[in-house]
Amino acid sequence: MLRVDPSTGKQKWYTTDGTKSVLSALISILIGMAVGSLIIIIVGLTKDGISTKGIWDGIRLVFMGILSTGRDGAELSFGFNPVNVGNMLFRATPLIMTGLSVAVAFKTGLFNIGAPGQYLMGIAGTLSVGLTLGNAGCPVVVAWFAAFLTGVILGALWGAIPGIFKAFLNINEVITCIMTNWIAANLVTWWFDSHEIFKNAAEGGKIGYIIPLKNVGVVTPKMGMDVLFPGSQANGGFWIACIIAVAVYILMTKTTLGYELTACGSNRHAAKYAGINDKKNIILSMMIAGGLASAGACLYYLAGNTEFFWSTYLSLPPEGFNGIPVALLAANNPVAVVFSGLFMSMLNICGTQLKSLTAYNEYIADIIIAVIVYLSAFSMFIKQLLNGRKQKGGNK
Amino acid sequence: MSEYVIEMNNIRKEFPGIVANDDITLQLRKGEIHALLGENGAGKSTLMSVLFGLYQPEAGEIRKNGQTVKINNPNDATALGIGMVHQHFKLIEVFTVLDNIILGAETTNKLGFLKKKEARKKVQELSEKYGLKVDLDAKVEDITVGMQQRVEILKMLYRDNEILIFDEPTAVLTPQEIDELMATMKGFAAEGKSILFITHKLNEIMAVADRVTVLRKGKYIGTVNTKDTNKQELSNMMVGRPVQLEVQKEPAQPKDVILKVEGLTVPSKLHKNDAVKNVSFEVREGEILCIAGIDGNGQTELIHGLTGLEKASAGKITLCGQDISGLSIRKRSQAGMSHIPEDRHKHGLVLNYTLEQNMVLQKYKDPRFQKHGFIKFDEIRKYSEKLIEDYDVRSGQGPVTVSRAMSGGNQQKAIIAREIDRDEPLIIAVQPTRGLDVGAIEHIHGQLIAERDKGKAVLLVSLELDEVMGLADRIIVLYEGEIVGELNPKETNPQELGLYMSGAKRQGKEAE
Repeated sequence: MLRVDPSTGKQKWYTTDGTKSVLSALISILIGMAVGSLIIIIVGLTKDGISTKGIWDGIRLVFMGILSTGRDGAELSFGFNPVNVGNMLFRATPLIMTGLSVAVAFKTGLFNIGAPGQYLMGIAGTLSVGLTLGNAGCPVVVAWFAAFLTGVILGALWGAIPGIFKAFLNINEVITCIMTNWIAANLVTWWFDSHEIFKNAAEGGKIGYIIPLKNVGVVTPKMGMDVLFPGSQANGGFWIACIIAVAVYILMTKTTLGYELTACGSNRHAAKYAGINDKKNIILSMMIAGGLASAGACLYYLAGNTEFFWSTYLSLPPEGFNGIPVALLAANNPVAVVFSGLFMSMLNICGTQLKSLTAYNEYIADIIIAVIVYLSAFSMFIKQLLNGRKQKGGNK
Repeated sequence: MSEYVIEMNNIRKEFPGIVANDDITLQLRKGEIHALLGENGAGKSTLMSVLFGLYQPEAGEIRKNGQTVKINNPNDATALGIGMVHQHFKLIEVFTVLDNIILGAETTNKLGFLKKKEARKKVQELSEKYGLKVDLDAKVEDITVGMQQRVEILKMLYRDNEILIFDEPTAVLTPQEIDELMATMKGFAAEGKSILFITHKLNEIMAVADRVTVLRKGKYIGTVNTKDTNKQELSNMMVGRPVQLEVQKEPAQPKDVILKVEGLTVPSKLHKNDAVKNVSFEVREGEILCIAGIDGNGQTELIHGLTGLEKASAGKITLCGQDISGLSIRKRSQAGMSHIPEDRHKHGLVLNYTLEQNMVLQKYKDPRFQKHGFIKFDEIRKYSEKLIEDYDVRSGQGPVTVSRAMSGGNQQKAIIAREIDRDEPLIIAVQPTRGLDVGAIEHIHGQLIAERDKGKAVLLVSLELDEVMGLADRIIVLYEGEIVGELNPKETNPQELGLYMSGAKRQGKEAE
């Protein structure tokens, strides 16, 4: 029974809840990757044209795709690949933001499945304002901030809708979130459909895309990313996402607002008893969640070179939904969300490597990602196992 | 054949850092009512969980009719005829009463269809035989707590259990329901069923039990025959020191009016009528005004209307000279009101928060505990350590204990510490000792009286006649949302109070 340090009275670091969360996340990731490898083997054995060596290559790419530098003759070569790493950071940015969105809502007792809709509202706001101000010759800094803030505010307002329904009419936020997702998809399609000036007509081969922001020069600065990772898409957006993650962590754990939000989330009745305005806090929490999700969209499209396919009324952006596994894997800890976001984005890079360097196609890569994400959700279960084992050990 | 139907010999059960049961022996005779007495945390629930197969003991043996048995899980316990009514009922709210009773023991025909008609007949017979009135087709969420308990008892009877365990069965019942339950238990015993009755209410033990086994801090203290002992001796055995059973207090010295309620009317959430109808009263400095009444006669709504948890439809509330009728919960609280709520899990605590976080549930916005919206953790730690010390709140890890992990008595002590330390002129205490043991009750009663003597106005809501008679300086009785009488505890007795509470007697309008 030495789970508590006798000198300080504090729990030893390896028995704390945090350590167990990290450990369980890592274990579930490893299991997920092992199952992914198994799929590679099964597909390799049943499909013509994949040799034993091809299977081995596939497995190595699942685990180390981020370090792949292509092929050296017939052999896969590995090493530091600035393009891969940079792209991982770039694609992680929106995932971190939607992950934060879901995590904040979870912490306050709400399930924000509305991140895709909030994300779409962010895209519409940021692209419309960015392109309009950019065309009008507005200074880049002003245009950037205006575009970013418009997107964030639109997303926050969009997130407020399920919050209002929940607070005043006690309608489950999951239902309203799903409905607002599709309303957003149609609204955004209608908005761009009726505004020809935003459509990219200049490049003939690309029908259905919005003009990228780089055409008007409203772009997030690289902030050193081009030096660190030359040739990649990485930009300062990743740093901004990291700063926001730390800010969210401070907000939730160090401030009275975070205290109120978490109190409402854990026990709405007790919060009300203590004089906390529970309705206001539910709406506020959904607004913060909405703002965070849409900020992800803003950062992604303010990179400049990303192009938005505007006729989106039949589909929702996967970044929105992927925020859920990102938050789960991070056990809703805002700082951990940065790492789980990076991990999800790394899987994505591994998938593209798998597709371009082996006979496996991109769908196999997607299946493997899905398996790993699915098993990541097991991290709670594994944490329970860790706890159980420790308790039995304590009995002896 | 052994003298005992169930014997638990020298049971030892450890949890990390604590010995919950240390060499405990419990022997249950056939046809007796055997009470298991002990304070919260004495190891009663652990012992029963061992008997029910939820825990495996480290040492000791269990015998049924003299034969050693191994109980690995609740199914084994059921097979041995052991049934249990848990303190918190294990019922499915959206199922009907009948479905709940047969759940887990369904009989089906060859095709796998439920034989509900037979089940209904059996349940009806049991219900009539023992006078356990239930509405078989009502959903559990719609019936009273008392009826829910009868459903739990019928569940045991339906399974032909011979050994019935009641875990704190009276904590949620009204005085009338308690009497009925006691009669039912005696009926079972007369029929040869054996009953284990877990409680810390001495009156009930003296009323029904044949023998009592007392536990204290995980240790076996002794087994005594009820007829050879008395309440004082039992409570001394339970607490380990002489306990003051009667409340000791000086006469009240009431001064200025602190709270004035005029014509308060609060609508009901359950039905169309008002739950509180045109109620007026005053509470003065230095007195304890007690609102007595049977549960569900508008007490909850009255307090919610006063504190702002529910909106009153009419009436004026004046606190320390300020009209607070239209104010928010926080404003009312700041106007001079602290509130020990009826339901400590629902309203009193954020159970996922640590003890120190709960200690500042209303105060976190004070300049003392925050600066520009950033929480001053050091100050909160210092403050809660002081409260923990002053009010003797016990927990595993002090200020950083998660409130959920604390015992009910200490959770209540924490709430009382927080509310009393806010030092407001009015203290509203709703059933402050519900579900607590003798030691904790003595402590809390002492604190309320001390606050009164300091000049606080105390508004107490209680369902326990003993508490009402012992603590109150004045009593008002609430019946169906109306004040039916104001009584002086020195001039009345529990019988008269009971008549007012049941609506059989009421004073004229002039006796406001």
